[in-house]
Amino acid sequence: MRWELVLALVVAHPAPLVAQNGSDSTRLAGRVPAAALPAIDSIIAAAVAESLPTEPLIQKALEGGAKNIPVARLVSGVRRGLLQLRQARIIVGRSVPGQPPPEGHVAAVAAALARGVPGPIVERLLTVAPNEPPGPALHAAADLIGHHFDPDSAADLLVEAHNKGLRGVRLLDVAVAADHELQRPGGRTPSEALAHVRAMLPNVPAAEAAVTRRGTKGS
Amino acid sequence: MSPIDPRLQEALDGERDPGDLPLDLREAYDRLTSATQLLTATPPVSVAARVMAEIRQTPAPVLPEAPMRRFVHFLGRPRAVTVRLRPVWTLALAAGLAAILLLPSGPGGGLTPGVSEGVANFVGHFPGARSVEVVGSFNDWSRGTLHLSDDDHDGIWHAAAVLPAGPHEYMFVVDGERWVPDPLAGRYVDDGFGAGQQNSLLIVRPVAAQP
Repeated sequence: MRWELVLALVVAHPAPLVAQNGSDSTRLAGRVPAAALPAIDSIIAAAVAESLPTEPLIQKALEGGAKNIPVARLVSGVRRGLLQLRQARIIVGRSVPGQPPPEGHVAAVAAALARGVPGPIVERLLTVAPNEPPGPALHAAADLIGHHFDPDSAADLLVEAHNKGLRGVRLLDVAVAADHELQRPGGRTPSEALAHVRAMLPNVPAAEAAVTRRGTKGS
Repeated sequence: MSPIDPRLQEALDGERDPGDLPLDLREAYDRLTSATQLLTATPPVSVAARVMAEIRQTPAPVLPEAPMRRFVHFLGRPRAVTVRLRPVWTLALAAGLAAILLLPSGPGGGLTPGVSEGVANFVGHFPGARSVEVVGSFNDWSRGTLHLSDDDHDGIWHAAAVLPAGPHEYMFVVDGERWVPDPLAGRYVDDGFGAGQQNSLLIVRPVAAQP
């Protein structure tokens, strides 16, 4: 029985997870039109050479392949992602002291730019908390701007929330609270809604539990 | 030791008729011959054997025992178990265990999120749809990994999944061909491919941050 035990252990031993550590080309092969692969490889190589994160570009290529996007538009979409990463890196470099800029910061800023957050607003929020993951604050700003709040007023509110101790995903609750105030029966103007939420700080209501049948939830 | 009378010795040796012995020697002769017979006779059964035989023949007293007590005794009694496995079955068992332990479970494989994960609940109203699935950045935009279900056929499709905390772009794929943004997502982002299409955006909170 001893040799059988040894064999069992050998079989059960975690093998190198080739799929997880495979090259970018391996992940894209078969998922992206072959005609698009050389151009996409070139874009990804440029990102690597510039020390930019490549995962957003790979995701964009996989998305385009899954949606059967025509090759020219697919490559254009990935290239646009590279341009946003470059712009993000410039903003992070200005806002966050120290080199190199954290990779997570660059990807988060690029995502915020894609959601329509103006560069100066991004820069301001980064400066307030340069050493914290910027994703939640930037998404909260994008949420407020997406609900037609003035970008500068939205940034003011988020900076004040941060100064009063709210961090991470709790900043998303600030944006949710402002939106609730805006939609309250009787009507509030955006500036009134923001003023009301500012008066609540830091005690904005927490988001409801994620699991609900009322709609897609995760935040 | 007192010396034995020569006449008694001769009688014991068969050299003299015991009937010729005087009365006192005759009595001694009788006692000695009886004792000799006792010593030479083979005992039918040893004492120990007789005692053990008695024990075996005596039925053990049967005491009524409660079922729970018998069950506890059954569990507590040591038993020898012999397992004989063929190598082929051992290998198959090991391979099965390895597959269970090593293969990644897709989103929705379990609803017990880790510290840096959260639960996302996808809901969509698609009356008459034959199938609905979610495709997004959390599954590398792969088809067939996260299907919604409509068990009561009311047109409301739903699925729950454990996802890494953070933002995820996604879309519903209805009937295997129609890409639809989630109308209840609340957050959207241009997909960047130039046709003005939008992905839904979901921000999953880590379980530690959920109220």
